[in-house]
Amino acid sequence: MQERAIERPGTKAGIKRPANLSPRVLGLRDYYFEGAGRAWNNQQISFTDGAPWDVVYNECNYHIVPETYAFFQTFTTSYMQVAERVEPGEGFWETSLPERRAWFNKKVMLDRLPQEILPGDLLAGGRFNIHTSLCLDKAQTKKREKILYGKAGLRHDAIAFHNHGFGNAGPTAGHLIPDYGRVLRHGFKAIDAELDALYEALSDAERAGGQGAQLRAMKTACSMPRELAARYRDEALRLAALEEDPAREGELRRMADNLARVPWEGARDLWEAVQSLWLTHMLVMSDENYPGPGVSFGNLDRMLEPFWEESKAAGMTRDFAKEILGCFWVHANTAYDSMIRIGNQGITAGFGQLFNLSGLGPGGVDMTSDATYLLLEVIDDMSPILEPKPNLRLHRGSPEALLDKAVDMIASSQGAPFLLNFDERSMAGMMRESRLAGVGGLIREDNVHEYASVGCLENTMVGNDRSGTVDCNLNLLKAVELALGNGMPLVPHTDAVTGVTEKPVRQGPATGDPRGFKGFEEFWEAYAEQTRSIVKAIVDLYERGDRLRAAMHPTPYLSALVRGCAAKGKDITQGGPELNFVTIEAVTFATTVDSLLAVRYLVFEKRACSMDELVSALKDNWVGHEVLQARARNQAPKYGRDDDEADAMARRVMELWTAETWKYETGTTGRRFRPGMLSWNYWVGDGFILPASPDGRPKDQFLSNAICPSNGADLNGPTANANSVGKALGGRAAKGEAGDWGGYLNVLPNGASHTISFNPALIKKPENKAKFKAFLRGYAENGGTALQVNMLDPEVLRDAQRRPAEYRHLLVRVTGYNAYFTSIGKELQDEVIARISHEKL
Amino acid sequence: MAYPGGATNVTETSGMVLEIQRMSTEDGPGLRTTLFLKGCSLRCRWCHNPESIKATPQPRWTQARCLGCGLCVSACGAGALSLGGDGVSIDRSRCRACGACAAECPAAAMELWGTRRDSAALAAELLKDEAYFGDDGGVTVSGGEACLQAPFVRDLLSRLREAGVGTAIDTCGMCSPEQFEAACEHADLILYDLKDSDPERHARNVGGSLEAIRDNFRLAVAMVAGSESPGGRRKRLWVRTPVIPGMTDSAENVRGIARFLASEARGRVERWELCAFNNLCSGKYRSLGGAWELEGAPLKSASEMGALVGAAVSEGWPADKVRWTGMTRDES
Ligand code: SF4
Ligand code: SF4
Repeated sequence: MQERAIERPGTKAGIKRPANLSPRVLGLRDYYFEGAGRAWNNQQISFTDGAPWDVVYNECNYHIVPETYAFFQTFTTSYMQVAERVEPGEGFWETSLPERRAWFNKKVMLDRLPQEILPGDLLAGGRFNIHTSLCLDKAQTKKREKILYGKAGLRHDAIAFHNHGFGNAGPTAGHLIPDYGRVLRHGFKAIDAELDALYEALSDAERAGGQGAQLRAMKTACSMPRELAARYRDEALRLAALEEDPAREGELRRMADNLARVPWEGARDLWEAVQSLWLTHMLVMSDENYPGPGVSFGNLDRMLEPFWEESKAAGMTRDFAKEILGCFWVHANTAYDSMIRIGNQGITAGFGQLFNLSGLGPGGVDMTSDATYLLLEVIDDMSPILEPKPNLRLHRGSPEALLDKAVDMIASSQGAPFLLNFDERSMAGMMRESRLAGVGGLIREDNVHEYASVGCLENTMVGNDRSGTVDCNLNLLKAVELALGNGMPLVPHTDAVTGVTEKPVRQGPATGDPRGFKGFEEFWEAYAEQTRSIVKAIVDLYERGDRLRAAMHPTPYLSALVRGCAAKGKDITQGGPELNFVTIEAVTFATTVDSLLAVRYLVFEKRACSMDELVSALKDNWVGHEVLQARARNQAPKYGRDDDEADAMARRVMELWTAETWKYETGTTGRRFRPGMLSWNYWVGDGFILPASPDGRPKDQFLSNAICPSNGADLNGPTANANSVGKALGGRAAKGEAGDWGGYLNVLPNGASHTISFNPALIKKPENKAKFKAFLRGYAENGGTALQVNMLDPEVLRDAQRRPAEYRHLLVRVTGYNAYFTSIGKELQDEVIARISHEKL
Repeated sequence: MAYPGGATNVTETSGMVLEIQRMSTEDGPGLRTTLFLKGCSLRCRWCHNPESIKATPQPRWTQARCLGCGLCVSACGAGALSLGGDGVSIDRSRCRACGACAAECPAAAMELWGTRRDSAALAAELLKDEAYFGDDGGVTVSGGEACLQAPFVRDLLSRLREAGVGTAIDTCGMCSPEQFEAACEHADLILYDLKDSDPERHARNVGGSLEAIRDNFRLAVAMVAGSESPGGRRKRLWVRTPVIPGMTDSAENVRGIARFLASEARGRVERWELCAFNNLCSGKYRSLGGAWELEGAPLKSASEMGALVGAAVSEGWPADKVRWTGMTRDES
């Protein structure tokens, strides 16, 4: 209870053990954590159509994962080598590409993957990790290769873009909330009926064209969950016949009944609803050949609440409801089986089957229900476990009981339990999107409360929105480098593998030799010009991948689950959804702001050095310029301290790049670009690429993370930190004005990842819990769209670093995602430890 | 009456500020912003904030940050600084507290403790966290000894009150009654330190006059009682006792304070906190150029603290109105 001087090293104090789990769920959970030692696992299996030109590994999904660049060729070859052959059905090659994909995936899911039910499990739906043939014909493959490979190919250019410090871009899977609510309420048969009606209405020419092909493919895809459920039903009945325990036999028969209905029909109670949800969801991951990347559930409590009320009324106990949900939790984690033998740092942490809880409803009512608490209890019981990831929506009127529960969970679980989203600021961002993109019919005052988050905290609408929230990641700092270099890189790029240093080439417009600049405004103009140029560069790069995906990589099953695709007769990859965006996530925000502040302070205000000296210092990576570097670090103002002058620079940077982002739309798919700030782990890796920056950071040191202040810059503690973040997003409208929504302003509809590390003493002391609640309420007024609370003791982490084997379950939050601490690599571990020590708390 | 270390040049609208700590959880109820002032009227041997004792600014040098560049030495017009093998030494007899060294130091290794601040601008800064104060939180003015800058504190707290936030003052009570009354006039909560119950020990370890401190405590109780009239803004009173090994940590001392409270508090003390000694401030003494006599002293254990709470209760003090806080020895 009391604060301790020193946490005894070597203890596992503070790491939560799962509690209150039924033997069934505990058994499944323990089985899951046996990991690679399990007899059953959902490992990745590849399937080819047998064409000599076939491809099963689609590298385009990974153009935003620099850690995988070196393996593209290996994966492309090796996935193909181990691929099992599926004989294409008759007429396969005469049908369109989306129809071939729909047929092929269905064939694999039904006939090539076994349908298994684990002992004690209450949900069916085991294996789904597949890599399947792209089903391209020879000509398509040739075309794809031409686009992708070679000196001017997309692969080369995407890697070069990254290696030169711009960031990365490419259309990847997931990161959306399918219309699961519709399936739960009405079943796939409703979607199927809509597809029939739309197809009926097509002219013959349309049927013969792309629209007809797309609708036929979606129809095939819609039949897959029904037929798969029937297979699982057979398995449930087979097991029931063998079962000696009458109770278990009863469960299996009830599962068979569930599967006879859902997901084809609407669900009638909680068990059916969760069964329906799981089968529907896992098939999205199969369809995209990518397990769980931000395929999110939306407002899960709102979605399940009517079913839970039904079940409660019919006599289901709370404990049994939690067992059903506990099974759901375990299933969601089997997404990781795809990587079970790899343990790759970047990828294992990248999943995010997110769901929201609570939040504002229509007319400002709070939407907390008994289903909210039911789900919170399950999270509490199951924790620590990675998936699915909860994100609790808070607002000014959030009930005390909910905050109490949240704070208890933060205090009792090791590390922070989950993400918090803040409705007022988030909804302001969504309303701004509505206005700027002219989608006022789809995002309105009266439905904006239905928004939810995908992946980590990226706000979108539900069931009709793909906003490509991790597709474009732009290093704003690159524009500072190019402004200092008059459009040339400050330090020429040296290839990490070959060691060859390339001849510097122009990377941005000539904005003038900064040594001739008379004042900071001239420097700002150069920076602005370079910013416009790098935004354009990422848009141009993304366009190539997006166009390729639209032509070659359809996902008809997912398309059937997103409103807009059927009506337009377009795949989701072709811009089918009603809300059709792609997000540029700005990385290195604080490093950029602090660098501009340092240029102004050092060169133009204090005249501590000339521009020439500054540029030399950066080229020398500060070596031999230690006094100047110290001035940049310690004397120049910094964002994140609630210093209005510094935060005004943050606003200015924010205004500039977001306005620039809104100017663009993709060419083929008509997706409008929108701004956000999620840095995934790029701020770590790209710190080794981008040269020294004027804020005093040397090359090889991390950049700033998402919207967070630079590491160590937030000298005034968490409240000042949060105030700066709120100001950077736009702050509040003048008194009496509505702002974007409810008096709030927010330039980032996607939202922004914000992490603050707290000393555990702050909320472990019972009387401090009220104080932490006060902090959260204050954050709702002044802070950002989303907050991740880190609460780990550094000693525990250091011990985990030394003895990883004993800390397999230790979860930690790193930027917008969480990961098992022992899996994130030493550099990130050190970073987490450094952040933990907020001495002022 | 003059007090040792009393701030000079105190005006109604400006005062000598040590630092501002935001999101403070230990200086009263709720989340608070705490303003530490410089200049103290007592000389507690255990002082955890030695930098707050002197009423005038002082340069401070932190070895770990120092680059050894010597810029501070050349910036000092008084010849108070020298750079040697052990880093920078400060000749405090020569230092005129001008701050030139701190302004020049690129590494924040040389800093100036103490800045004169204007109350209007200061109030604005203290209000920046208003959104986090909630029902119970607010601003606490702490020392040094806040009452030594009574006119300034009074003006500052009245501005904060006007802005609608809760106000608190943390005081040792060693000041004139006039100063005390003025400083506490706009404070919603008075955090009052009662350190020792024995006059001799008090004189030895704390300095100042125990009687003067007790008189002002009676005044505080009267102010709280006076605030209970209908329509008035209610004041609250908390008492704090630092528990220092070998000095104030005897059960006998706690019982003595309990007896004093029983006879003088008239039911107006809402809470009494026994604050466990911590040893985090050794570095501060070193950077001020001195040593701390308690440097190696052990932390209290949780059971010892619990026993002191028991001692207070054994004198009839209500158990729900006394608690201990702070850092204790690790016993796991
Ligand atoms: S404060 Fe002024 S006089 Fe004192 S050491 Fe620094 S520069 Fe010299
Ligand atoms: S100016 Fe600062 S860094 Fe340089 S010697 Fe003085 S204290 Fe050290």
